[in-house]
Amino acid sequence: MAIQGFLVVSLLFSCLAATSYGEVTFSSLQESLIVTASPKLRQVLKAGEDNIIVSWSFNKSLAAGTDSSYKTVKLKLCYAPVSQQDRAWRKTEDHLNKDKTCQHNIVTKPYSSSNNTFTWTVERDVPTATYFIRAYVYNSADHEVAYGQTTDAHKTTNLFDVQAISGRHVSLDIASICFSAFAVVSLFGFFFLEKRKAKVSQAK
Amino acid sequence: MCPSRLHRQLFLSRRASPILLSTQLVVTIWKFETGQPSKNTVKFNMEGSYGAPESVQKRFALPVDSEHKATEFRLFSVAAPHMRAFHLSWVSFFACFVSTFAAPPLLPIIRDDLDLTATDIGNAGIAAVSGAVFARVVMGTACDLVGPRLASAALILITAPAVYCTAIANSAASFLLVRFFTGFSIATFVSTQFWMSSLFSSKVVGTANGVAGGWGNLGGGATQLIMPLVFSLIQNIGATKFTAWRIAFFIPALFQTLSAYAIFFLGQDLPDGNYSQLHKSGDKHKDSFSQIFRHAVTNYRGWILALTYGYCFGVELTIDNIIAQYFYDRFNVNLHTAGIIAASFGLSNIFSRPGGGILSDIMAKRYGMRGRLWALWILQTLGGIFCILLGRVGSLSVSIAVMIIFSVFVQAACGLTFGIVPFVSRRSLGIISGMTGGGGNVGAVLTQVIFFRGSRYSTETGITLMGVMILCCTLAIMLIYFPQWGGMFCGPSSKGTTEEDYYMGEWDSAEKERGIHMASMKFSENSRSERGKKVESAPTPANGTPNTYV
Repeated sequence: MAIQGFLVVSLLFSCLAATSYGEVTFSSLQESLIVTASPKLRQVLKAGEDNIIVSWSFNKSLAAGTDSSYKTVKLKLCYAPVSQQDRAWRKTEDHLNKDKTCQHNIVTKPYSSSNNTFTWTVERDVPTATYFIRAYVYNSADHEVAYGQTTDAHKTTNLFDVQAISGRHVSLDIASICFSAFAVVSLFGFFFLEKRKAKVSQAK
Repeated sequence: MCPSRLHRQLFLSRRASPILLSTQLVVTIWKFETGQPSKNTVKFNMEGSYGAPESVQKRFALPVDSEHKATEFRLFSVAAPHMRAFHLSWVSFFACFVSTFAAPPLLPIIRDDLDLTATDIGNAGIAAVSGAVFARVVMGTACDLVGPRLASAALILITAPAVYCTAIANSAASFLLVRFFTGFSIATFVSTQFWMSSLFSSKVVGTANGVAGGWGNLGGGATQLIMPLVFSLIQNIGATKFTAWRIAFFIPALFQTLSAYAIFFLGQDLPDGNYSQLHKSGDKHKDSFSQIFRHAVTNYRGWILALTYGYCFGVELTIDNIIAQYFYDRFNVNLHTAGIIAASFGLSNIFSRPGGGILSDIMAKRYGMRGRLWALWILQTLGGIFCILLGRVGSLSVSIAVMIIFSVFVQAACGLTFGIVPFVSRRSLGIISGMTGGGGNVGAVLTQVIFFRGSRYSTETGITLMGVMILCCTLAIMLIYFPQWGGMFCGPSSKGTTEEDYYMGEWDSAEKERGIHMASMKFSENSRSERGKKVESAPTPANGTPNTYV
């Protein structure tokens, strides 16, 4: 009886421990940062070429001691809802360790309440999609405690687009066409050779 | 061991072997059964005899029968023409599988580059397996016309451009097109089986077919390892992600092209030469296509096996398409790890498909055809159960374990199916095999359309539902009934139907008078082994009047 009780308690305890360690939810975070980015509404940025200038600061209208536990800020490029449609690999989940909304890191910086800017060149592996920028704030235990984003709660305003590189090169195109042509020509060569062999053995 | 008279079986199915005329040895058909002399006069070779078996034997590294088909299967030999053809055919079939399933492990990169939705990805996966439905049935005809060597080399070379052009795809539509045309290449299954049946005697043809088929299917697993590896290698050399995957596709494309060259220059259609070099003189009875076709489509067992093959082989193709993405997305492993896990599904083909064929033969020895049917039903049902489980488990390690068990059962079921197919029909064996093979691809198309296209079901729900569908469709095996051997629940017909009655039912009396049914006669005698050990031999009817059995 005592052992069963002990097992139940330890099970409950480990569940609690799990929730307090890994299972931070987005809805539990406070939106305490104001984040702005340079792209205008629906501006198209080219991956690998164009820059984004991000600025973030603590929202002064909130109580003064709110940011006492804030240690680092991580800025991420996040998918807007229109780019998440029919793409389960970009789905938004409340549990942050399952959430796939923000898959591209911009920068990680130590927290300071004002005068933060960063210029980022859109990386070459960013796919074509519509984005916004979100900043997660971490405490010293490396858990998310707050956030800020360039768009509103419904993720409809201040969105911008990125045009990805295609990955194609002229040399690749030429190589593909040449090898393909070679394969087809070889096929005709095979049939021709085969007919000739047949004629030769017929003549014998 | 060496027959004193020259006796040749006429193969009158679509895979009829032509009369062989080589520059060294001239052989004709001597119809002892009907007493009719052949049209040509008997020709003597340079040594002044028919070609004594000993001198024939010396030409081949393996022991051969009177048709020069190998009676032994030596896996580690590459002796021409038998074992060399075996290795050429399984390697080329492997290459085609590698190409056809080269995209799935790289999908997490490709879907970002080409801006694909889940619907686009599903459609491309369906396209990849739908081409071969038709191509597999057509391949049988091609093998008949030009021989398996040219037919497979031609198909491989024609589909190689699709693989090269995957590197220049730039939209969902072009991606779908390249996957569609690449998928035609897995019709080389038919030429593999055809080629093995032309070179290996009935004692070992099951093993040759099972190993060639299984090791070819291995490509679907190996590609999940190869492509991420090649991709990361190219990335390390300095290419960006969106270029590296494109360059990576050149590897399967080159492999495919080289294998076609190897088949053409090193392979040989038949033990005594290639189709084109051999004169087709003498009595070669070309069976009527309409008759063969009629007997194939009216035999309900062929349709049932086509359906059930769709839920072992078809499921295998579907899993090849979706499993890497599933592990990448659900368990957050990296591309490389997802590839390794996905590969272990296809790699178990190395023993599980041949194992299924061997199990079928073991069951037949003891329990006859009924044993084969029960074994197929049991193993495929177990495959369905583990498929349901696979969608339900949430932890990575258990998921991998369940997937591996699932793969063994599903691939063994493929091997077991082709232990039954040769007995469904003798005259229309080629078309029945093509139908079953095509049915496998239809199953792959169906499961992907219903469960893995768009976002209606999450992938794990789709996998569970696919398992339920496997269970339901496998029940159809219970409907298969051979009057001479029985079915799963009924014994052989109380009317005393024999194997001769069943197989002779495919020939009418006019054809029998011409004597073109003799190969089926031989086959009926050999197939008595499907009665199993327990059953006593049934009486043979006096004049072979056929009862047509549907």
